[in-house]
Parts: sequence; C-alpha cells; structure tokens
Amino acid sequence: MNILDVQNLKTHFFTEAGVVKALEDISFTVEKGCTVGLVGESGSGKSVTAQSVLRIVPKPGKIIGGKILFDGEDLLAKKEDDMRKFRGKKISLIFQDPTSSLNPLFAIGDQLADIVIQHDRVKKDQALEQVIKTLKVARLPDPEQSLGQYPHQFSGGMKQRICIARALLLNPQLLFADEPTTNLDVTIQAQIITLLKDLQRDLGMTLVMITHDMGIVAEMCKCVVVLYAGHVMESGDIETIFEKPHPYTEALLKAVPRLDQTRKLTSIPGNIPNLIDPPSGCVFHPRCQYAINICMEKVPPLEDVGGSHFITCHRWRELQGGR
Amino acid sequence: MVALRRNKNSEKTMKRGASQWAVAWRRFKKHKSGLFGLGMVIVLLAIAALHTVIAPYPARPAPDSFKPLYEGEAAQPPSWKHPFGTSVMGTDVYSEVIHGSVYTVYVAVTVTLITMLIAVSVGIVSGYLGSYVDDVLMRITEIFLVFPSLLFILVFARLYQLRNPEPFWNIFGINVPAGLTMVIVILSIFSWASYARVIRGEVLRMKETEYIQAAKSLGASSRWIMLRHVLPNTLSQIIVLGTLTMAVAVLLEAAVSFLGFGDPNTITWGRLMEEGLQDLSTVWWVEMFPGLAVFLTVLAFNLVGDGLSDALNPRLRE
Repeated sequence: MNILDVQNLKTHFFTEAGVVKALEDISFTVEKGCTVGLVGESGSGKSVTAQSVLRIVPKPGKIIGGKILFDGEDLLAKKEDDMRKFRGKKISLIFQDPTSSLNPLFAIGDQLADIVIQHDRVKKDQALEQVIKTLKVARLPDPEQSLGQYPHQFSGGMKQRICIARALLLNPQLLFADEPTTNLDVTIQAQIITLLKDLQRDLGMTLVMITHDMGIVAEMCKCVVVLYAGHVMESGDIETIFEKPHPYTEALLKAVPRLDQTRKLTSIPGNIPNLIDPPSGCVFHPRCQYAINICMEKVPPLEDVGGSHFITCHRWRELQGGR
Repeated sequence: MVALRRNKNSEKTMKRGASQWAVAWRRFKKHKSGLFGLGMVIVLLAIAALHTVIAPYPARPAPDSFKPLYEGEAAQPPSWKHPFGTSVMGTDVYSEVIHGSVYTVYVAVTVTLITMLIAVSVGIVSGYLGSYVDDVLMRITEIFLVFPSLLFILVFARLYQLRNPEPFWNIFGINVPAGLTMVIVILSIFSWASYARVIRGEVLRMKETEYIQAAKSLGASSRWIMLRHVLPNTLSQIIVLGTLTMAVAVLLEAAVSFLGFGDPNTITWGRLMEEGLQDLSTVWWVEMFPGLAVFLTVLAFNLVGDGLSDALNPRLRE
C-alpha cells in the first residue's frame, strides 16, 4: 500500500529574476513501511519536494499544480489549519544542519516539550516524559540530564539525535530526512545512518531519505527516486536501478568512488541547468552522453518500464537493450 | 506511576546549562565601559528613588524650596552649602537637579516601553507575515518616518497645553504629571518607526533560519512561532535598541522643555536649562549642572547600549 502518492507536483519560486521552476513534474509513490531514497545533485529539487509535501515551501515559492495523496487524502486540498495538524504528527522532517535547526535560546527539554504541548494539549510533566522517552529512542545518552541543557552544549552528532527525537516526538507515520548526515563527520554519519535504519525497522515507519550519496542509498533504501532539475528521471527498486540505470543515474553512479573497482572516477560535465530558463526537450540532454536530436525537441514522458520501474528517457529501449 | 514520579524528580534535580542570557551577562561583565555605564544608570535610579531623602531642599512649588532666597543666598555660585549654586529665583540647583532625575527616569522608561511595544509588534508582524500585511504596515511606518518629528512634537505638545488640562493625574495614589505624560506619548508616536524597520529586517533574516522552518514543519502556528521563536530571538536586538531609545528620549524631552514646549508643571532638567538661559552670562551654573546631568545620563545609556550590543552579538558567541 502506498502511504504517499505524489502526482505531477509543480512548485515554482516567483523571484524578481524570474520564475524558478524548482519542481516541474514530480511523480512518485512511497510504499508504507519502506525506505525510499530521493537522490539528485544540489538544486535538483529534493528538499523542495519534502517542503512541498509538508506545504512549508518558503516564500516566494508556491505549489502551483499536482496532487499529494497521503493515505488517500489530498494534502493540497486541505485548509492550512488542518494541514498544521499533519505536520509533526503524521509527517515529519529532519533537517540537514542540526546546529541551526534548534532554537539557541531554549533548553532542549522545554523546546521539545513545547511541541507535544502544542499538539496534544497535555501538562508539561507528561510532555517531558514523552520527550525523555523519545530521546531514549534516539539513543541520546542520559536524556534526563540533557533536558536542561542548551543546544550549544551538545556536539553535532548529539544535536542530530535530538533533532531526530524531535521529529519522532509525535510518532509520525512518514519521516523525511533531508541529508541528515551531510553536516556531520564521517564516524558520526555511520552512527546516524544506523540509528535511522534501526528506527525505521523497529517503529515500522516510512522513511524518505533525501541524499546525494549513492552509498547511503545502497545501504538503506529499498526504492529510489532520482530527481534532476525538477523532473523525475527514474524511480524503482534499487536493484533494477543499479542494474539498468537511466543515463543520468548511470552518470551519478560513475561519480561515486568505489574500492572494489579500478576504474577512473568520472564527473558529470557541466552544471545543473538554470531553472528560470530550463533547456528544451529533456532537461538532461545538454549533459547526456547519449543525447540525440529528439532529446532537444521533445519532453520525454515518465514511462513504465515494467517491474514498477519508471524512467524518463526517449532512448531507454535501445540503451537498455544495448548495455 | 513509578516512572512518572522518577521523571518528575529528575526534572527538579536536572542541571540547568548556561543559557544564552547567562553567557551574554558573563561577557557584559568583562565590558569595562558597559559596566561603567551600568553603574551610572544605577546611581541615577538610586537618586531618583531616594530624591526626597537626598535633596537638601524640597521640590517646587513647596515654599521651602525658595529657602535660599529668604536667607539672602539667591544667585550664588557653587559652594559647600549649595554644590551647584543657586538660581536667581533663589532655589538650590543641586536639589532641583536631584528632583528632576525622577522625571528623567519616567521619560526614559515610558518612552522606551511605548516605542518598543509599537516597534516590536509592527516589526515582527510585518516581517513574519509578509505580503499585504507587510505592505500596509510598512507604508504606515514610512509616513511616520518622513514627518519632521520634532516640529510635530512641539506643535502637539503646545496644542495639548492650550487646552489647559489638569496638571496632575492621580493614578493609584501617585501624582502623574499630565503634560509630561502627553509629551511622552507624542515622543513615542514619532519615534517608533525607524526601530520597527530595524526589527523587521532582523525578522526577515530570521525567517530563513532552519529552526523557524523546523518549527513550521512540526506544526507550529504563525502566532506561536512569532511569540516563541521570533520574539525571543530578536530580544537581544530589542534590548540594545531600547537602551539607545532611552538616551534619545532623555535628549528629546530635554530639547522640548528647553524650547519652552514642555509641561509647565514639572521641573525637568530641560526646563531648568530653559529658566537658566536668560541669566546665562551671570549665573552660568544654573545652566551647566542640569546640562551636565543630561549629558551624563545620555552617555550612561549609550555606554550600556554599546556594552550590551557587544555582549549580545551572535557573531561573537562562545
């Protein structure tokens, strides 16, 4: 069963320089209890996708089209007040930088208890108990003693545990993790990844990992959605995608250093396109080594390749046959 | 139940870490000129609180305030008996300056409270909500910015006095000078606009921070975010601006009184300077000591503001 079904989501930013088409046509589904990777380069629209699902796209951004079905309910049709009850309670978000995502002025006990009090209208004692319980789940050492401490007294890894606890405080069904390890050092990264993996398994939660690290995807996810310049390039099972990748995914995979292969590390030539004036046809064609004329002229549709593998490419048939 | 009791205990016994305020205070304590300013402010507050005890002569219009005149000591230069000299009318300038400090504190505190209340509300609502609310509030703010404020303050103050109002309001048994309070209200109305803009700018910057985004992603309402996240985080700015407003308010009130547009029933420092102006060439001390008091007060508030802005500067946080 799909807990999240995003259909043709379109989010644009109306800046003074022009309309930035951050999400142009995003469609994917997330199966309940699954870990899904949302991959792509910086600026491909990963974070905006998460923000759009929660409807917290910062101004001047605006969702201008599409449907977001959560458990069958269309989130875009909800009133703002009803939507607020979903945030944190049903869908939650972990941010990239734990340091800046905690309010520096409040002790973490107060800060986290506030969220429980706001949603469930309980007494502070009860809220604090919930906070301690969740901090334990997030494996923060000595949670009782930490309640009175301020964010600046914790290390980066501990802060990220607190942020994870904060996101889990109200037992959400769906958790977005927006590059939760990017700002941490490598040893801590591994701990956080293990923690998220265990939490997902133990709590039976649905997790959407937003990352540009194919290693994390391979380690954690069952399915992958590959984004590029506001379009879904492909989505499907991790095995299928690693085996028969879209040209963009292929380029991404080649850019990951690996110990078991002695090949040259390649980079993808060029940069992500200007989203105010994106390229014609397939958005990836200027950087695609397989691009032909049709790629410049026609926008390729998201096609079902079979085995719940979707791909956006004019040449997928010949490329996948020939490789 | 057992677990609940244990957690309750642990909440009571848990160690409180050093908050940002504690850190700021620790830093302020190392700021020499700021501490000096704070010392001066405390002295001013003490003088204002104890003015009836300290001043050798009572405040006007008590008959005893003219005692030096009966003793034949009018227009005397500073001496041991009259440290700031006496005026032509025969009052003791030292006592008058001490009594005036009460009004100075009253002006500084109330102007700052009213100004900051308006500026903070407008700045936060405008900055956080944005769109048409921002447009409307900012246009109003701009109107107040382009007024020649001193001129308007003088006109309104005079208009009020022409109505011959009650000299004092009795509020909870305290005689509050009506004319001075009106000057305070007028001063506040004409000085909040620039502060509102500063606070709005700060809010705009803060709106982009991740903890505001995080609060939003966890279902906090706009009101909650403004009160629990934006306001506390702008508080350091507000405190610094508030301290500087105190200095500006004291200076402006002195100017209004000096120009003769102040409350005729209160002897503020500005009023003393206005009275002394006619005889400046002979009894300069009547002019100098109230002026010195204004100068030192403004200096004190500025030093404190400077120290606070260093202590609260987020870029210098430990």
